[in-house]
Amino acid sequence: MPRLRSFASFTASLFPYLLAAGVVGLTTFILYSLGPNLNTPVVALLYLLPVVVSAAAWGRWPAVTAALCAFFAFNYFFIQPLFTFTVHHPPDLLALIIFLLVAIVINQSISQARAGLEAASARERELTHLYDLATALVGLRGFEPIQRAIAEKTLETFEAEWVEIELPPVLLGERTILRLPVEAPPRAADCREPLLIAPEQSSEIRLWRTLPLTPAEERLLKTFANQSALALERAYLASTETRAKVLEESDRLKSALLSSVSHELRTPLATIKAAVTSLLSPGISWNSEARNDLLAAVEEETDQLNRLVGNLLDMSRIEAGALNMQRKWNALDEIIGGVLTRLRPQAHDHRIELDLPEDLPLLPVDYVLMEQVFVNLIGNSLKYAPAGTLIRVSARSLDPETVQVCVSNQGPPVPEAHLERIFDKFYRVTAADRVTGTGLGLSICKGIVEAHGGRIWAENLPAGFAFNFTLPRRWAGLSPLQPPFEPEEV
Amino acid sequence: MSAAPHVLVIDDELQILRALRTILTEHKFQVTTASTGEEGLTLAAANPPDVVILDLGLPRLSGLEVCARLREWTQVPIIILSARDTEREKVAALDVGADDYLTKPFGIDELLARIRVALRHSLQAQGSREQIVVAGNLRIDLPRHVVTRAEAEVKLTATEFKLLAYLTANEGRVLTHQTILANVWGTEYADHIEYLRVYMRQLRKKLEEDPERPQHLLTESGVGYRFLADE
Repeated sequence: MPRLRSFASFTASLFPYLLAAGVVGLTTFILYSLGPNLNTPVVALLYLLPVVVSAAAWGRWPAVTAALCAFFAFNYFFIQPLFTFTVHHPPDLLALIIFLLVAIVINQSISQARAGLEAASARERELTHLYDLATALVGLRGFEPIQRAIAEKTLETFEAEWVEIELPPVLLGERTILRLPVEAPPRAADCREPLLIAPEQSSEIRLWRTLPLTPAEERLLKTFANQSALALERAYLASTETRAKVLEESDRLKSALLSSVSHELRTPLATIKAAVTSLLSPGISWNSEARNDLLAAVEEETDQLNRLVGNLLDMSRIEAGALNMQRKWNALDEIIGGVLTRLRPQAHDHRIELDLPEDLPLLPVDYVLMEQVFVNLIGNSLKYAPAGTLIRVSARSLDPETVQVCVSNQGPPVPEAHLERIFDKFYRVTAADRVTGTGLGLSICKGIVEAHGGRIWAENLPAGFAFNFTLPRRWAGLSPLQPPFEPEEV
Repeated sequence: MSAAPHVLVIDDELQILRALRTILTEHKFQVTTASTGEEGLTLAAANPPDVVILDLGLPRLSGLEVCARLREWTQVPIIILSARDTEREKVAALDVGADDYLTKPFGIDELLARIRVALRHSLQAQGSREQIVVAGNLRIDLPRHVVTRAEAEVKLTATEFKLLAYLTANEGRVLTHQTILANVWGTEYADHIEYLRVYMRQLRKKLEEDPERPQHLLTESGVGYRFLADE
């Protein structure tokens, strides 16, 4: 095989010389057939043509070959004595020298022009690559997308076998390396270029390729590294700024929380303390009915406190982005069924109706968080809709991607201006002293639904009020697996 | 077993220990308390209890660890106490052999009900396994593979029956999704929670009065399922 290939490449390299000789042959044929009409100086002049053509088309050595062939052909066919290679007049040798000179000079100037053109187009390619990289990096905020963009562009531009982009710990909390393609390369990197982001923390672009980099490519790689470092630095600055904003916001939240919550915490505590101290006071012997009343109050208020603490925990997790979701394929009817069982003690004044289609698909949700959404939405309806009215929970598939859930009640409408804001923290339509609550329940629902990739909104119905939310049906692009069909045999 | 069942409570909160000791003694249980995992293990070995109530959030030796160590030598029912939002720990404890769990704060009725179920279950485990399980109007004849609801025979598929049989054999115990999948479908299916959801829905449709408010095939939120014969 190698011998065959080297033979093939040898013939290929011979090809320009054959062409050059061929052109001279063609010229000779034409000139010779024109015959005696041409005098010798004109023929000599015309022989320059194949030389020039060869110099322009195939480079220096084919041109020299053409010059030599032209001279010999000229000598053989047109100079006395004809059909010999003998040169009688030394001046005839001048033709050979001129042919050679023309070949070399023309080739020189053409190759200069060509080199200039190549340099220009190489610079243009370089600029295009840089422009591509810059365009890819614009608008990216996360470190990982930036890392990926750099890797992809580097791989493409340098036609490398592998590319590795290593980011320092300061950006993502730990040293992260992205390699394209993923499988491990068989040897150490062929060239490395540092990414100057954080001093004393190693981060670099590593390339694997069989050909060494040309000086131009080395220069381009340096520029790539600079551009990449800039993009990463910009993202880093943006992220610290966001963090500062989050801190400020959570600070504001905390003070709002404290003022709202201290009232909500004290009310049940006051009741519990009053009830328990009265039961413990030695002077009074309570009849059993009064004692039961006091104890029921204690139980109700502890439940209220427990809900409050739960809400606060949920809210702080949502705020911190630390929901710690455990998504699994879940059946909505099962979740709602569990919620209805839990709410039974509070729900005796209302009728709750479920309307779920038989073929409702399993949804990729966190069971406990979704339960919380239904507890809060149904709980809200129980609180605001008058006793004896109907609360309806329904769900349907909107399209192959989405399920829409609706919790509706026959409660009073909410002024249109408030509809959006009821999902804000501490936002209440009714004065705080009329209905108990933290003003957190609905914003927790919003946080949870949005963490699942859904959307939540409220609307007034002709006779009532409804909460709607959507949930995605697919999880990482996948639908739930269907167990294989089985006949009933037992 | 003596007339008064022996309950061992392991919790690091002294108020809880005091309250549970008073309440459980009042309900005719013999109560031992321990405030650390180490102490609990020593007490359990010295005087084997009939039920262990174990807090998951213990200092030093964690509740999970205590649970695993108890299971090395005893099948005593273990009821886990846990704070909210610790599903992962709960599941881990159930997977290393705990029988049930309660989320703090809990009502005492609920705790007593769980203790009763646990005691009943351990009695069953000691004696011969029940061949025919009766739950409300359901009658499940395990050896003959016959299930009737209100005297009428219910047709089940092979997997449905296998699932039902596994749940009823562990009546009262909380079984995690993974455990059920591994035992009914096989360990290679332990992550196919979709199968379990689909089959539970089918079983409930066939066996429960109101499939949306099940009485026997109960969901333990975020953790697993439990079969309960009677409340």
